[in-house]
Amino acid sequence: MEQSASKEALLQKFAPQIEKTSFLASIWIIFLLCIIGVGVYAFICQVTQGHIVTGMRDNVVWGIYIVNFIFFMGMSYAGAIISGALHLFRTEWRKPIIRMAEYLAIISLLIGPGYILLCIGRLDRLYYLALFGRIQSPITWDVIAISTDIFGCLIFLYLSILRDIANLRDFKELKVPQWRKKLYSFLSLGYTGTPEQEKRLRRATDIMAAMVIAIAIIVYSVLAWIFSVTLQPGWHSTIFGPYFVIAAVYSGTGVLILTMYVFRKAYHLEHFVTRKHFVAMGVVMVVLAALFGYFTFSDYLTKWYGSEKNDESLIKILFSQYYWSFIFSNYIGVLVPLLVVGIPKLRTIPNITFSALIVVVALWFNRYLIVIPTLESPYLPIQDSRPEYLLYSGTWVEYALMAAGVALFCLLFTLASKFVPVINVSEMSDAPRDQREEGLFNTEESLL
Amino acid sequence: MKEENQKENRKSSRRQFLKKGLIAGAGVVAGGSLIGAIVNKNKPDSGEKVTALTTTGELIEVDKAQIRSPRVSISESHNGIPGRKFVMVIDLAKCKNARKCVDSCQKGHHLPKDQEFMKVYFLQDSDKSAPYWFPKPCFHCDNPLCVSVCPVGATFKRSDGIVLIDTERCIGCKFCMTGCPYSTRVFAWKEYPEFKEDKEQYSPEASSPGKEGTVAKCDFCPDLVRIGKLPYCAQNCPMGVIYFGDIDEDTVTNGNETLKFSELIRDRAGYRYLEVLGTRPSVYYLPPVERQFPVDSGFNGLEESIKARYKNTPYGKNHKL
Amino acid sequence: MKTIKSPIFIILLTVLLTNITILDAQEKKDTVTSIVPTISFSYLNLSNDSIVLTANLFVKKDQGVFAIQNAVIEFIAKGGNESKKIGQAITDDEGNAIIKVYAKTGLPLDKEGKSIFTAKFSTKGKYLSASESISAKQAKLSVNFSKVDSVRYILVTATQVDSKGMIKPIGKIPVTINVPRLFTPLKIGEITLEEDGTGKFEYPGNIVGDSVGNIIVIAKIEENDLFGNVQGQSSISWGIPKQYYLAEMPTRELWTPIAPLWMIVTLITMLTGVWAHYIYAIIQLVFIKRSSRPKKL
Repeated sequence: MEQSASKEALLQKFAPQIEKTSFLASIWIIFLLCIIGVGVYAFICQVTQGHIVTGMRDNVVWGIYIVNFIFFMGMSYAGAIISGALHLFRTEWRKPIIRMAEYLAIISLLIGPGYILLCIGRLDRLYYLALFGRIQSPITWDVIAISTDIFGCLIFLYLSILRDIANLRDFKELKVPQWRKKLYSFLSLGYTGTPEQEKRLRRATDIMAAMVIAIAIIVYSVLAWIFSVTLQPGWHSTIFGPYFVIAAVYSGTGVLILTMYVFRKAYHLEHFVTRKHFVAMGVVMVVLAALFGYFTFSDYLTKWYGSEKNDESLIKILFSQYYWSFIFSNYIGVLVPLLVVGIPKLRTIPNITFSALIVVVALWFNRYLIVIPTLESPYLPIQDSRPEYLLYSGTWVEYALMAAGVALFCLLFTLASKFVPVINVSEMSDAPRDQREEGLFNTEESLL
Repeated sequence: MKEENQKENRKSSRRQFLKKGLIAGAGVVAGGSLIGAIVNKNKPDSGEKVTALTTTGELIEVDKAQIRSPRVSISESHNGIPGRKFVMVIDLAKCKNARKCVDSCQKGHHLPKDQEFMKVYFLQDSDKSAPYWFPKPCFHCDNPLCVSVCPVGATFKRSDGIVLIDTERCIGCKFCMTGCPYSTRVFAWKEYPEFKEDKEQYSPEASSPGKEGTVAKCDFCPDLVRIGKLPYCAQNCPMGVIYFGDIDEDTVTNGNETLKFSELIRDRAGYRYLEVLGTRPSVYYLPPVERQFPVDSGFNGLEESIKARYKNTPYGKNHKL
Repeated sequence: MKTIKSPIFIILLTVLLTNITILDAQEKKDTVTSIVPTISFSYLNLSNDSIVLTANLFVKKDQGVFAIQNAVIEFIAKGGNESKKIGQAITDDEGNAIIKVYAKTGLPLDKEGKSIFTAKFSTKGKYLSASESISAKQAKLSVNFSKVDSVRYILVTATQVDSKGMIKPIGKIPVTINVPRLFTPLKIGEITLEEDGTGKFEYPGNIVGDSVGNIIVIAKIEENDLFGNVQGQSSISWGIPKQYYLAEMPTRELWTPIAPLWMIVTLITMLTGVWAHYIYAIIQLVFIKRSSRPKKL
């Protein structure tokens, strides 16, 4: 059978990734562990000395932690929406990158909530959320929504790696320890690809793909409502729900492109992840850039035009002490992908990756500008408090924990890629729906 | 000059005492009043009999400013003082940033210097409008957003209108701090040594001892109100800026004068701060009209570090504080 | 004996003298550490033949006022040449020692019908003694109510007992009209009594009473040089019934412990919808697992 042969060939190609860890990869993992170690030390400092070690004070009560929380959750929702949508629309070019999107969804979803925990003063009382939870509080909505989302994403990921796990189980030449083989065998649920099994799996995956998209939108809106239900000028905005969702998918697309680039280089996937995929994702990113720019513009335009006193003071802060971050996040972060991907000549892989990097950093600053300047310009001007309470700047503890989060993200991605290939082997080996067997690997073929 | 001041002080304290005596008497006759209950415990039935209380012989000095009712338990503190609805009126015309409200409150609640339940702002609504001192306690809103957003019910509103925080329940998510549009709440960023000064059992009514990693705020001092004393800020304001009372009873007092709340608000055009937000505060302000002293006298005698806090105000910038 | 001039005696004397000076110095030190307390004394005639005497014992230090608790305060009444101990009380945690004296028990009076009341604290430990006196003549205030053509009046009468034991009116004296409140009484008016010791005050009509509208009206003579503090009271149901602002705490507001109904319904609906799909997907997996079994066997 041609199909199984190609599957075998693919597995043959990806086996080394799974079987052994190269010297460089070991260094990489140790490096990540070191960064995480520093983060753990910072965390211990925070627990033993109190939140005084952070830059947060009575006015700016939420700092980089919340920014990172929004950022990682955004990546997760982006992963979920992209993988769900690509799956549902049966897009042909999805196949090599859908696994990465799924990993992105679940890994950042595991890291994100950690940041909100860092923000909590009494971690020892965390279970009160379940014990005394009040339904009126958006935090409760968030707790329910995020835990539901984690379950959904895990089920969706499992459904999509099931066939690959079964493949790995059946791939006898795989040189991995016995326990891993047993694990594959256990996790594969005895999937052998009978028509009935295939039908059921497809049905479940379709349902979950739709659910994951819906939940991602709801969950990220809930996150936005944490801010917009308050009366703070700058947060109290009806547009925040959709704005956050779009910003999330936008930044997540950027992260996905970066991931594609890194894995392409690290695992030599040039043959699978091609310029076509970068361009395709780039186009998605451009659409989102336009939407993001539109939402950002709407939000700030109405604030500026109406110029209510408190909105005005917020805009003033944004255009004075946060001038460059504002320009970077809301102008450069939108224009760079529009130009790079918009002009066909510029659509090279490094260019698209570069603009994705800009997008990711810009969107981190965008969140920073949503959280911190608002807290620095409350209704009552910040007065009669100690000078060190006036303005926020993160401390080493916060940045160490931020770095640790990024390192953990990279580490989990690395480990996940060592468990099940980052390329969806079984989907790749499925016959293309439009019967253009060559098309998939044709790097020169243009998009659309 | 100084002597005169002292004399005056003594005089006024004597007058205050006489008044207190009167209050106590009123309590005795009214019978049902809280004060009466306290006073009665030492009162003999007739002049011929001597009080039956045995003395241990030990004389104890008690800080008068610190006397309050025995602390109620956490569950009891969820119930308001029955039949009361507290209100505060702050007369901006009289405030000159003497900061006795801040200091006495911090002392009474065993707060570190970084944590202030009461803050005094120096506001100027626009360039050409006049600046004024603006003491700001918790507004104890009737539609409290801080209570709405609390995920664990650690902050709650009672039947007497007081919004309290249970630091045994608080998880420290700080959502209430962002929810409050008046920046009223403070966070215990570390274990402050001042928290350990208070050896008594914790009660939300006393907001003391504080707890690391939890939120705290002005509590309208229900532990003082229970024994018929005014909150620390109202008790200790030398200018009588802060009036406190029961809105259902239509009466507020600053300790020296007792006024009808409705008439005070009517005659002095009392208002609530940022009414537009719909939080329905329990604190009313009287506009700073016909002030008895220039506004910048509020900077007199301030510590440099306190003065520096007003550097960023429009006035502070113009006058190079 | 008188002229013993032995050196031993001289030595003894010098030792004694130096000792005395040392003792003296020690005593002086003691006076420095001993504390002078202050008594603040108040007199209140309740008109029902009883007088409340309140002595407050306190010390001032470190810019604060500290009450002395557990101190015994002795109360003495003096009139003419007669002096009588009328009671004693122990100060409470606010430093207050309070006694109630019945005027009918025969207080010593001077020719003008005045008595001098003294509150005395005797030296104890490091606290030195203190005392404070007030002189006052007995008086009586009574409050009555009348309604003339739907106008409501508060009637106040003040009387005193002269040296012959005759009851006489107190005229031309300022009296305040008050209603008791949570903290301090609310003054609703002020009148000066006529020559005949009576006064009339139009009831303002907008006074909040208790839940059924009862109010207590207290007439007061305050800090009078002759009579001290005198008050009389009476109650009537002229008040506006007290409306409790939060008589019924709302139950399903955002800030109450229980959430609004729509919120609970929405949440349950959404969660059921989502988890039903999850369960559907998991059931599919169970079926996949099950379908693989016969093959294995």
